[in-house]
Amino acid sequence: MGKLTFPGGIHPNEGKKLTMDKPVVEYLPKGDCVYPLSQHIGAPAVPIVKKGDRVLAGQKIAEAAGFVSANIHASISGTVKVIEPRMTSSGSKVNSIVIENDGLFESVDYSQNKMELETLYRDDVRNIIKEAGIVGMGGAGFPANVKLTPKNEDEIDYIIVNGAECEPYLTSDYRRMIEEPEKLIHGLEICINLFDNAKGIIAIEDNKHEAIKLLRELTKDNDKITINELKTKYPQGAERQLIYANTGRYVNSKMLPADAGCIVHNVDTVVAIYEAVVEGKPLISRIVTVTGDAIKEPCNLLVRTGTNCQELIEAAGGFKDDKMPEKIIAGGPMMGKALYTLDIPSVKGLSALLCMTHDEVTKYEPSNCIRCGRCVSVCPGRVVPSLLAKYAEHGNIDAFLANHGMECCECGCCSYICPAKRHLTQTIAGTRKQILASKKK
Amino acid sequence: MEQTFKISSSPHVRDDGTTTGLMADVIIALMPATIFGIYNFGYHALFLVLTCIVSCVLFEWGCQVLFKRKVTVKDCSAIVTGLLLALNLSPDVPVWMAILGSAFAIVIVKQLFGGLGQNFMNPALGARCFLLISFAGQMTSFTYDGVTTATPLAELKANGVSAINLLDMFKGTIPGTIGETSVICILVGGIYLIVKRVISPIIPLMYIGTFAVLISVYSAANGGFDPTYLAAHLCGGGLMLGAFFMATDYVTSPITKGGKYIFGALLGLLTFLFRIFGGSAEGVSYSIIFANLLVPLIEKVTMPKSFGQGAELLKAEGSQAGSSKRVDKKSIAIAVAAILIITCVAGFALGYVYDITKEPIAQAEQNAKEEAYKAVFNGADSFEEYDCSDAADVLKAAGFDSDVIDEAVAAKDSSGETVGYVFLVTSNEAYGGSLQLAMGITTDGTVNGISFLSLSETAGLGMEADKDTFKEQFAGKKVDEFKYTKSGAAADNEIDALSGATITTNAVTNAVNSGISYFKSIEGGNN
Repeated sequence: MGKLTFPGGIHPNEGKKLTMDKPVVEYLPKGDCVYPLSQHIGAPAVPIVKKGDRVLAGQKIAEAAGFVSANIHASISGTVKVIEPRMTSSGSKVNSIVIENDGLFESVDYSQNKMELETLYRDDVRNIIKEAGIVGMGGAGFPANVKLTPKNEDEIDYIIVNGAECEPYLTSDYRRMIEEPEKLIHGLEICINLFDNAKGIIAIEDNKHEAIKLLRELTKDNDKITINELKTKYPQGAERQLIYANTGRYVNSKMLPADAGCIVHNVDTVVAIYEAVVEGKPLISRIVTVTGDAIKEPCNLLVRTGTNCQELIEAAGGFKDDKMPEKIIAGGPMMGKALYTLDIPSVKGLSALLCMTHDEVTKYEPSNCIRCGRCVSVCPGRVVPSLLAKYAEHGNIDAFLANHGMECCECGCCSYICPAKRHLTQTIAGTRKQILASKKK
Repeated sequence: MEQTFKISSSPHVRDDGTTTGLMADVIIALMPATIFGIYNFGYHALFLVLTCIVSCVLFEWGCQVLFKRKVTVKDCSAIVTGLLLALNLSPDVPVWMAILGSAFAIVIVKQLFGGLGQNFMNPALGARCFLLISFAGQMTSFTYDGVTTATPLAELKANGVSAINLLDMFKGTIPGTIGETSVICILVGGIYLIVKRVISPIIPLMYIGTFAVLISVYSAANGGFDPTYLAAHLCGGGLMLGAFFMATDYVTSPITKGGKYIFGALLGLLTFLFRIFGGSAEGVSYSIIFANLLVPLIEKVTMPKSFGQGAELLKAEGSQAGSSKRVDKKSIAIAVAAILIITCVAGFALGYVYDITKEPIAQAEQNAKEEAYKAVFNGADSFEEYDCSDAADVLKAAGFDSDVIDEAVAAKDSSGETVGYVFLVTSNEAYGGSLQLAMGITTDGTVNGISFLSLSETAGLGMEADKDTFKEQFAGKKVDEFKYTKSGAAADNEIDALSGATITTNAVTNAVNSGISYFKSIEGGNN
């Protein structure tokens, strides 16, 4: 079978060698843990503990507020210190529960949650996923149970596991796939069994040979799951591009993947589903890649949510003595968020901490667009970024919409490739945000 | 204090490519053609190249300082413009013309429209066309190996394929502009740009391909396909330089892929129309500039379909989606047709205006001549052409180096008897370059009168030569030789010099004297 792909895209420096072959090491937090009540898309969760309460690891401390929302669980044992706004990776303060770490890591007994899978109804499974507070762990943080509850249940024919990990530097999904492939496969089977007509696809970029080989071997007798090899290209793992590459179906901004009969889940999310359903564990930890040329010992850490990011840097040996980072990014370099401080908690959607000694963005000054057309040829959304950016700058919303500005997925390819170093993605994303906000009113 | 870090919106990594780098690649790609041009045409070509580059950079810097813009001469775009302009100049043009062209390219075409990326036509080609219109003579005069010659394409148009040496055209050892002659050098540069992915091959291939097909069809329809004819058209007249370096200019070519195909095809069509039906043998420059103007329209109709556009309709209601698609296609088809029609109409109009006006212009010229003859030979009834092919030798022997007898006619009376002659004399020693006059002389050697056919001297000074008071000084006199004086004419053969225009007076006097001397040789021969 040939390698699947989509038209457009770029080939940034991968940077995965730094941590690709580093096995996952568990890191237990030393200090207090902070749990922002909004780690997902949708309404912030509502605290169900109060100051002074003693909590155990795995205990629910905040409850989903509505259908599109998610529960939050404590990842350590200790005492609720305070509930107050704390700085997060988004750059703004979010109401958070702070738990003073008692260092015991006393846990809720998960075995009492365990149930025989065969005895469960589909809605029971969805309920377990909801209870476990599982959200999309690729970064967006869409509640997993909502995705698995589409209106057109019968029309879902593909559950796609996004193992592309197309963002440079990230290796957390890769480590998951080669270290716990059985959990991934079983997690996917659980999802497939929620639908009558669904089949599973695990889609992996061809720079992860090991994972492809291993998963193919493990699924060779499974006629419901296929392992698809994708070309290594950014943004191969963008939801719409991933669906197109695997099924040839198009999804645009007016649709949900379910409208094309597809549901896409991140690798970590599927593993979390397995752990919730089979082991009874809520989502309280994830793999974070701590990497970049400023880090002494780049590594993959299994991190309890709520752990302070400064601790994670120290767990990776700290910064190199002669190389203080100029920029630190939560996530990958293409779509991650730049952090101005490390004093923030790790959250469910944090895939990496990337510490770079040189900032490539401030190195260049933007100059006039020379209409070279590179942004057009790389755009996976097949829009004309230079034109959209011009309309955005002029505040011409009508022209922006008429030229399909809403189809932009903010992947960053246009800014990356622009020889004039124009901030195309930023300009377009700003206007998209403005339009979405005005629609909500 | 707690350590803080730089923040910015994503993405946080950038490709190495920069505008300056792209411009540098274009300069590198132009080097073979430039070096060959200098080798082919000599030091003056080198001087022109340097002049254009330096003046373009200086004009860009000056404009940006004057307009209080950020000075961006470091991006090398002005160097590219200067180099391209120089490669599009005849190696004979004076330096001031190169500077004027650079000023037009940078100040008028580029900076007045907002600088890099804002100009609607290629600056170098804009300047070339400006110079072509303003100084047609110098821009299209090509000296090669010390002789003023026609370019191969002009030869092809005038004399057919027999006049063509294809190997010379491919190598570039032919007359032409500095950079356009060597096909091989341009191809090397073009391939470099395509391999380095600086330009997409779509535009050059569509351009050259469409043009080749049209020329083949045309030649097949006109007495059989001749590969030499096709090859000469492909190698000649700056097509290669235009296709690889000027048509692919980012700023003035479509940004969309579909647009690039249409743009290239349009260029091929336009160049074909201009070359075959137009007046001049050229056409690449005008084609590209014309197509530049159509770019916004081309882009409008070739906007790419966004990812999954209409996919939601396909699912909801198949039929509706289908019909909306059809409408889409229809409107695009209309727009494409509009572009084609505009192009054809413009191309044919330019071609046919030349064709339509060719006859009247020739007739008008003939009438002007007849009138001039009459003006200088009132008594004659008719004029009959007289073979003056020996005039050059006669004038040379008499020492009139700067005068040429272009035409001679014998004046006849009603009985058909020759009563005198009219000569059209061009003098190349006038203040404004050259002048042409008609002079009548009777068989007994009396100058009947003079009249100017072309005179472009300084207004108020040299132009006074066209006044009757000056011209009548020659009439009715029978002398061996006219002389001019500044101190008041006393003798019959003395002419009052025009005040402040001695050079003009000298040129006119010499022109008349050369006519007299040629007349003597005719009469002497007849006697």
